[in-house]
Amino acid sequence: MEKTGENRVKLAIAYDLLRFEEKALYNEAQKLSVPVEMMHVDSLSFDLNTSDYIDRYDVLLQRCISHSRGLHVSAIFEAMGILAINSYEVSAICDDKLLTTLRLSRKGIPTPKTRVAFNQEQALKALDELGYPAVIKPIVGSWGRLVARVRDREEAAAVIESRASGSNPNDHILYLQEYIKRPQRDIRAIVAGDELIATVYRYQPPNDWRTNVARGGTSEEAKLGDAEREILLKAAEAVGGGILGIDAMEGPSGIVVHEVNSTVEFRGASTVSTNNIPRKMVEYALRVAKR
Amino acid sequence: MEFECEQCGGQVQVPKDALSGELVSCKDCGSEYEIMIDENGTIELKAAEEVGEDWGE
Ligand SMILES: [Zn+2]
Repeated sequence: MEKTGENRVKLAIAYDLLRFEEKALYNEAQKLSVPVEMMHVDSLSFDLNTSDYIDRYDVLLQRCISHSRGLHVSAIFEAMGILAINSYEVSAICDDKLLTTLRLSRKGIPTPKTRVAFNQEQALKALDELGYPAVIKPIVGSWGRLVARVRDREEAAAVIESRASGSNPNDHILYLQEYIKRPQRDIRAIVAGDELIATVYRYQPPNDWRTNVARGGTSEEAKLGDAEREILLKAAEAVGGGILGIDAMEGPSGIVVHEVNSTVEFRGASTVSTNNIPRKMVEYALRVAKR
Repeated sequence: MEFECEQCGGQVQVPKDALSGELVSCKDCGSEYEIMIDENGTIELKAAEEVGEDWGE
């Protein structure tokens, strides 16, 4: 797709807060001599009645920290005919744990046993069937916020009641999961298209059973078998593909995928991965834009 | 470039190569600001947002 007499792919990076990740992507694009424009979406407005953007950009890397902002930026670019990574649809699926689990499960990807209830009583019944300990998560939310591990019915009832009393309607959707007995680490894989560009173990910080880097965990490069690598790649494909962070746990019967992230943080992974992660991401964007 | 901190009146430094959306903080009180640069290149500081409900990867 050649435009305005120039055949070099023009890249836009949309973001709200400039973090390590967005700067690294920008720097790698510059090193590759890719025309790149940083779009701070908070200092711009977007004209929804024009198609002018198609002359200016070929591909968008959507890097907003705010899910709703990012989702809609992808929608704007896509409507103007520009390839958005990730697409509106993929972002929407990954932003919602219920939708993600549905996709993974339908595609046969091992995922924790999960139930959803829209009523407190039904949630407790579902938990009785799942067994304790169990995990209660919000369907929307990140960095492990509001994720609760409950040891028994009493704890579960307290958590469920506090969720149901909140004003956010999403919190009233009770997403319940079996607790996977796993080592004190989980697996974070970064996928770009059909390539695994990083696989790291994330170790849980002391006094917290979650492993998000945002909560102070540490990383180490993970050496995985072919079967595990295939599951991770299939998980990315199941949600629609793109540049994705796949979170998996090592359960007693192999790995289970529990989350897919559409705006991957890779600062921690960068320090231990043998690949240049942002370079791989930019190269992927150029590759798909040229198709 | 230097800006005055809204909280303590101290100095907040904005580097020459700053990009819009970058965070800077006041040396004196630690208040965080987000750099906003408009199309004309005018730089403003905005108190950094608290972590939003829908923030995260
Ligand atoms: Zn100050």
